[in-house]
Amino acid sequence: MSDQGPVPAGTPQLKSLNCPNCGATLTLRTFGQAVTVVCAGCHSILDAQDPRLKILQTFQVATGEDRPLIPLGTRGTIRGTKYEAIGFQRRSIRVDGIPYSWHEYVLFNPYQGFRYLTEYDGHWNDTSPLRSLPSLGRVGNTLTYLGETYQHFQTANATTSFVLGEFPWQVRVGESVEVSDYVSPPRVISSEKTGNEVTWSMGEYIAGRDLWKAFQLAGDAPAPIGVFENQPSPLRANVRTTWTMVTVFLTLLVALAVAVYSTARDEPVFEDSYSYNTNVRGEASFVTDMFELKGHTSDVVLTTSADVDNNWIYLNYALINEDTGHAYDFGREVSYYHGHDADGSWSEGGQKDSVTLPSVAPGHYYLRIEPESDPHHGNISYRVALRRDVPQIGFFWLGGLLLLIPALLISWRSMNFEHLRWAESDYGGAPSASFLGAVESAVSSVKDSMDGGDE
Amino acid sequence: MTQPSANCPNCGAKVTFRWSASVQTVCEYCKSILIRTDLNLEKVGQVADLPPNSSPIQVGTEGVYGSHAFVAIGRIIYEYDQGNWNEWHLMMNNGTSGWLSDAQDEYVVTFAAPGRKLPKECRVGQQYAWDKETYVVATITKAHYRGVEGELPFQYWNKVDVVFVDLMTQAGKFATIDYSDEDPALYLGESVQFDSLKLKNLRTFEGWS
Amino acid sequence: MIRSFFLIYGIAVLAGVSFAEYRGWSLNRVDEVPNVPKSVRDNPGSYRSVYGYYHHYTGGK
Repeated sequence: MSDQGPVPAGTPQLKSLNCPNCGATLTLRTFGQAVTVVCAGCHSILDAQDPRLKILQTFQVATGEDRPLIPLGTRGTIRGTKYEAIGFQRRSIRVDGIPYSWHEYVLFNPYQGFRYLTEYDGHWNDTSPLRSLPSLGRVGNTLTYLGETYQHFQTANATTSFVLGEFPWQVRVGESVEVSDYVSPPRVISSEKTGNEVTWSMGEYIAGRDLWKAFQLAGDAPAPIGVFENQPSPLRANVRTTWTMVTVFLTLLVALAVAVYSTARDEPVFEDSYSYNTNVRGEASFVTDMFELKGHTSDVVLTTSADVDNNWIYLNYALINEDTGHAYDFGREVSYYHGHDADGSWSEGGQKDSVTLPSVAPGHYYLRIEPESDPHHGNISYRVALRRDVPQIGFFWLGGLLLLIPALLISWRSMNFEHLRWAESDYGGAPSASFLGAVESAVSSVKDSMDGGDE
Repeated sequence: MTQPSANCPNCGAKVTFRWSASVQTVCEYCKSILIRTDLNLEKVGQVADLPPNSSPIQVGTEGVYGSHAFVAIGRIIYEYDQGNWNEWHLMMNNGTSGWLSDAQDEYVVTFAAPGRKLPKECRVGQQYAWDKETYVVATITKAHYRGVEGELPFQYWNKVDVVFVDLMTQAGKFATIDYSDEDPALYLGESVQFDSLKLKNLRTFEGWS
Repeated sequence: MIRSFFLIYGIAVLAGVSFAEYRGWSLNRVDEVPNVPKSVRDNPGSYRSVYGYYHHYTGGK
């Protein structure tokens, strides 16, 4: 396309002017985009669009004047664009009579426009105006934006208490706006209301040290204190991962149980009945016939059933390996008592007892049995049964518990973190001011982040 | 594309139209506002010195919006209590006209949307539906015309007070109702990120390469 | 990182449970006595001297 060329629009220059109040030199860095500029020397707010810099307001500053941590004029790269810090302000709110202040930095790039950094107690947020309207949720204190749900955190009146540098709007010290914050960590959506007009902006939590690197500042960023409203939880993702893994492993555990129960031999290897005459004194011990325990080393379950009725029998057992002489020595009591009293019938004990002998090697075995009981109580009949390779449910319960412990631990720690976060909010604890509320919001955030795709 | 040209009736300089459908242009040399009645140019006014403005876009800036390339060929500058902003007239590569609003480096691309029923007056918070989208009135700005540059698709100069109503949707769409004429005009579009326009031939700023 | 940690931990738990079930471990303890002499088969009463200690009061002398 033939081009006689545009008339060059000229390269905009930085402007140096003198403050009409005190004569100090001011440099305007926004090429005419600033609406107000502050003279640091005499604390006057001047009209940046007026070539004579009309004075709009002069404000008082208490001793110990704020100095921006990011000096005005410093440049840093955020999201691939270089910005220059050109403005700084301090705003405060009052909650329960206690003032809280935070700082805001105005960043400028002549092509990309303005961006803002907010800092409170060492927590930083990278903020920019929203270009779409968020929709207020059905429950009064949530809003939705781009498919994400934000919880209302706080509404307060913010007053500007100190300004420095250039601003693309009419700042005045002492003016108040109603600010509402809605959080969905690491993001926060804020609304500022003056009269009828509402402006929306979105902030994203950014670590101080990343900003220090971006702006190449000396020293360290201030250490963050406490948990900030949209500070991302270092535990949130871990909670999700851990519970997913717990579910996977619990399923595997169940599958393992099915496998074990279906492949265990659970083989009866010995059973016999005996009668113990308590009237007879003398050596009551005897040995059984030999039986074989087959297969690999595994457990043996010995069950004693006795017809004791308001009586007891104690059996000294020894399971002796015929070949190696190795023995398992143990004693089992079977006792059963029952009766009636004022509260009705009662019973204690049982007529059956089982014991599991661990890791019994295969081989030929016999039992040495020696019964005991109160003398002169007649005959007690009892039956001894041995089963080989019987699966035990106890280890599965133990395994399940062990798998759950890390998940419970990490969920508890995460809930603690969230509790600290919400302690600063209008709700002083959790959105529903209850433990269930905290669980609810944690669960809904986990659900949100799952719906939003992998991080 | 043919580029019709004529001579400025005021100073005689050659005036070329990059866009065949331009109705008005400004002579680059003497700043006369010229109306085209097919290639007879009539001077109707003069542009006062343009205010110092910091738009990174200039006449001749090229870019891409959606699937169309464009060139910025003119603009209207408006002034209001918070400063000023530019409405850049874009010539799309399919011959149509678009507008790129640059307000403190926030960019919105809109296109004329004729034939809709428009309210005589608006209030902040009112909702209107066009093209199956719900637009909510976000701001009402009283501005006045401050200057023109380059080629425009209609006659525009010396407007006194102009009321602009800006509407936003929940999906980033944007609408403006321009009340400068008796018949309000509607423009529909969306806000865009600077990078997505892939602008070339921008102005340079001192200290920024 | 937490994923790999839990993977190792979970596999360890499953392996532990599998091994316990396979080898027939028991949650209760039983005394083991080595080298019971073959004569016990013929004389079960002589076994008494092989235990380390009594589990209960047997009564009598």
